[in-house]
Amino acid sequence: MSSLRYTVRCLRDIRPTPRPQWHPPAAAATTATATTALPYRPRIHQTARTLSTTASRPADLNNDITKEPPPGWNEFQGAVAATDADADADAGSYPDSSSSSSSSSSSNFGALEAASAVAATPFARAVPVSPSYFSRKPIFNDSYVVVQDLARKYARLPVLPRDKVAPTAWRTKEQYRLAIGEHVKGRDYAECMKLVKRLNQIHPDLMPAEVLAGLAPFKREVNFYLNKPKVLPIDRFGRSHAVGKRKSSIAQAWVVEGTGEVLVNGKPLSDAFGRIHDRESAVWALKSTERIDKYNVWAKVQGGGTTGQAEALTLAIAKALCVHEPALKNPLRRAGCITRDPRKVERKKHGHVKARKMPTWVKR
Amino acid sequence: MAAPNCWRCLARPSQRLLAPTSTSSSLAVPVTTATFSTSARLAKKEGGGLSSHVRTGKKLVLGRKKKQDPGKPVLPGERKAFRKRIQLSNDNALEVPGLAQVTAATLVDPAAAGKIVGLPDALIDQLRTVEAFKPTQNWGLFRSPHMLVRQETVDLIKDMTDKVQKKQTVRTVITGERGSGKSILGLQVLSAGLLNKWVVINIPEAQELSTAHTDYSPIPKSEMFSHPTYILKLMQAIYSANKDILSKLQVGLEHIHLPFSVPRSMSLAALANATKEPDFAWPTFHALWQELLLPGRPPIMFNLDGLSHMMRVSDYRNPAFELIHCHDLALLRLFADALGGKTQFPNGAAITGVMTKGNCPKLPSVDMALEQAAAAQAGTEIPARDPFYRKYDDRVFDALKGVSVFNVKGVSKPEARALMEYWAASGVLRMRVDEKNVSEKWTLAGSGVLGEMERASLYVVRL
Repeated sequence: MSSLRYTVRCLRDIRPTPRPQWHPPAAAATTATATTALPYRPRIHQTARTLSTTASRPADLNNDITKEPPPGWNEFQGAVAATDADADADAGSYPDSSSSSSSSSSSNFGALEAASAVAATPFARAVPVSPSYFSRKPIFNDSYVVVQDLARKYARLPVLPRDKVAPTAWRTKEQYRLAIGEHVKGRDYAECMKLVKRLNQIHPDLMPAEVLAGLAPFKREVNFYLNKPKVLPIDRFGRSHAVGKRKSSIAQAWVVEGTGEVLVNGKPLSDAFGRIHDRESAVWALKSTERIDKYNVWAKVQGGGTTGQAEALTLAIAKALCVHEPALKNPLRRAGCITRDPRKVERKKHGHVKARKMPTWVKR
Repeated sequence: MAAPNCWRCLARPSQRLLAPTSTSSSLAVPVTTATFSTSARLAKKEGGGLSSHVRTGKKLVLGRKKKQDPGKPVLPGERKAFRKRIQLSNDNALEVPGLAQVTAATLVDPAAAGKIVGLPDALIDQLRTVEAFKPTQNWGLFRSPHMLVRQETVDLIKDMTDKVQKKQTVRTVITGERGSGKSILGLQVLSAGLLNKWVVINIPEAQELSTAHTDYSPIPKSEMFSHPTYILKLMQAIYSANKDILSKLQVGLEHIHLPFSVPRSMSLAALANATKEPDFAWPTFHALWQELLLPGRPPIMFNLDGLSHMMRVSDYRNPAFELIHCHDLALLRLFADALGGKTQFPNGAAITGVMTKGNCPKLPSVDMALEQAAAAQAGTEIPARDPFYRKYDDRVFDALKGVSVFNVKGVSKPEARALMEYWAASGVLRMRVDEKNVSEKWTLAGSGVLGEMERASLYVVRL
C-alpha cells in the first residue's frame, strides 16, 4: 500500500487560490467541485494548469480569428487528455473514490469533448506549445505537472522500501538549473523531488515506461552508482599490485602473503628509509590492521623525497592489501591509508618570493 | 699522535693527572700539558687604575646581578673522553634473573642459539682490556653486560674452534649491513678465544692506525713504519688479557737484537711487559710474535675491527713526503700477512677481520676481493675485475686471498623475541613483548637488523 497520500501538498495546483475575477463558467464549476468533493482530478486540464492564466481564453472568446494551432499542440493536448483519462479511470476503480465515480466519468467525457473542441477552436492569437509558456519556468513546470500526474496515477502501485531501491544519481538543484536553464526555486524543486523519489520507489517489475520517461529530466546523464570499481587481480604467484602517490612520489607495491619482509627498491626497509617514522609510514597499512607479519612487500618508489616516498608506499600497500582482503578497506580508510592526499607544492607567484612570501619591506 | 690519556676512561683528564690509575702509571707517557702557566696572571689587570670609570664606587647600585661562575673550563681531550666513554653497567636498570653465564661450550652449542647469556666478570675484564667493547654499543642501558648468542655466532665459532683444534688457520672476514652486529660478533669471537685460553690480540679500531692520528716512526733497515706508543699499549693489553697463558710459556728463541737480555728462563708475559720505551716497542712486539709462532704454543686469535681502513693508502707520509700504504705500517702488515695466509701458524690460529659499514671508505678493491672470496667459498664462478678500472690494489687482493667471508644478516624472529624479552625485563622496553610487537619491530628494523631494532625500540630511553 502506498504511503503517498493525496494531500494538499500533492495537489497544490487545485488549492483554492486567489484567481483573476474572470473565469469561464464551466471551469469555475469543476474547480469548486474538486476542492469540496474530490481531492483529485475532475477538472478540465486547461483550468487545472493554473500556472497559465490565459489557457482557456481562446475558447471563451470564441472570436472568428481562425488560426491553425501550432505544431505539436494537438499531440500535447492528446497526451494530457490521455493522462487525465487514465488517472480518472484508475481513481474510479478505487473503493474510497466510489462516491466520485459518476462525476469523474462524466468529467472525463467532458474533458475529451473539451479537448476536441480546443483542437477545433480558432485562436485569438499565437498560442505557445506549453501552457506554462508565460510562467518564468515553463520546462520545470511542465515536468512537475507530469510528475504530479504520474504520482497520482500510480499511487497504488507497490513500492520497495527506500533502502532497497537501486541508488539513482539525481540532479541537484544547481545541476538541474544548469541543464534546463531556468532559475528553479529550491523549495519547488525539493517538493518535486519528493514526488520523483516516491515514483522511483515503485517496484521495478511494475515500473511503467511513462514513469521512467517522466523521471528522466531529473536524473543525471550518468548514474555513477552503477560504476564498478576496477577489480585488481591477484596473479598466479599470489601477488597483488597497486600504485600509490603522494606529493611527487609514485610507489608501486607488490604484496604477497609472507612473514613481514619488506624490500623497497631492492633494499631492506632500514636502508631505504633512514627515519623510523618514515619506515612506520611505509608499512602503516599493515601495521594498523595488524597484518605486518602476514604479508611480504616488494616495492618500487621513485620521485620526491623520503617523506613523500614513504607515504606513497602507504597508499600503494593499502590498495594492494585490499585486493587480498577487501574487508579491510574500511579499517584502512579510518587509518588514513585509502585517500590520496591531494596537496602538492603551491606554485610561485610573481611579486612574491615564494608561493605566499612577500619580499621584505624596505623604506624607499 | 696518541693522546696521553685513556679515551675510554670516564675520569676527567685533570683528575687523572692528580690520581693516576695503575694502567696509566705503568705506561711512561709524558704529560703534554704544562703544570703551571703564567699567562693568566699576566693577562689580569690590577683593579683601580686610570682605566676605570671616575664614578666607580661612588654610585649606589642596587640589585646588580652577580656573574655566574662558569665553572671549570673543559680541558682539552675531556669532551672526547666523555664521547668515547664506555659504561658497562647501569644501576637504574633492572637485574634480569635466571640467565646463564657464557662458557666456551655455550658458544658452540646449537641449543644455545637464540639465548641471552651473561658475561662473567673475569671475561668482562679481559674484554675490556683488549677494548672489545665499543662506545657505540648500548651496554650502559643494562645492569650488567649480556649478549645474544645467535645462530651465526654458533656457526662461526663452532667452525673456528673445530679447525683451530686441528691446528689449522681460520681466516675470516665478517661483513654485513650497517648495524647488523658485526662488532658484537667480533666480541663473541674474542670471548671464545679468551674462554678457550688462546692468545688473544685485538686491534680495536684500524682507523686509529691509518688516519695519521697516532705517532709513527720508521723501522731501521726496513721500508716499514711502526706505531711505537700504540704498540706499547697493545702489548700492555696482550699482557693483561693473556697473563695466565703467557706466564706459563718460556722464551724459546735468541733475541740478541733486543736492548735487554732475554734469558731462556724468561716467561712470555715478562717479555710482553719488558719494555716501556717506545723506541723498543716494535722489536719487542716482533720478538713476542716470533715466540708465539713457535710450535707447541697455544693457538693465536688475532682480531682487527674496521678492516676497510687498513686496506687503503694511509695518511702517513714517508721522509720523501709520499703517502705510505697501510700495508707498509708494520703492525698492519703483520695482520695483512696473517689474514692473507702468508704467515704460517703451526699451532693453529683464528684471524678475523671485521668490516665496518657506518664509517667506511669506498674501496673497489676490497669489494671485488670479497666478492671473489665469497664466490670461491660458494663454489660459483669467480667474478672478474672490471677491465676499465685502473686503481685496483693488488696488495689488497693478496691480503684477502682465500679468506672465508661471513655475512651477518638480521636476526631471526625467535632471536628478536629473546632480545626484546631481555630488554623488557631490564626495564628499558616498556611494551608487551608479543608476536605482534616483535614482528613489527623486526620489520621496521629491515628484517631484524640488530642496530635498527635497538633504534626502533630503545632510543626513547637512550641518553
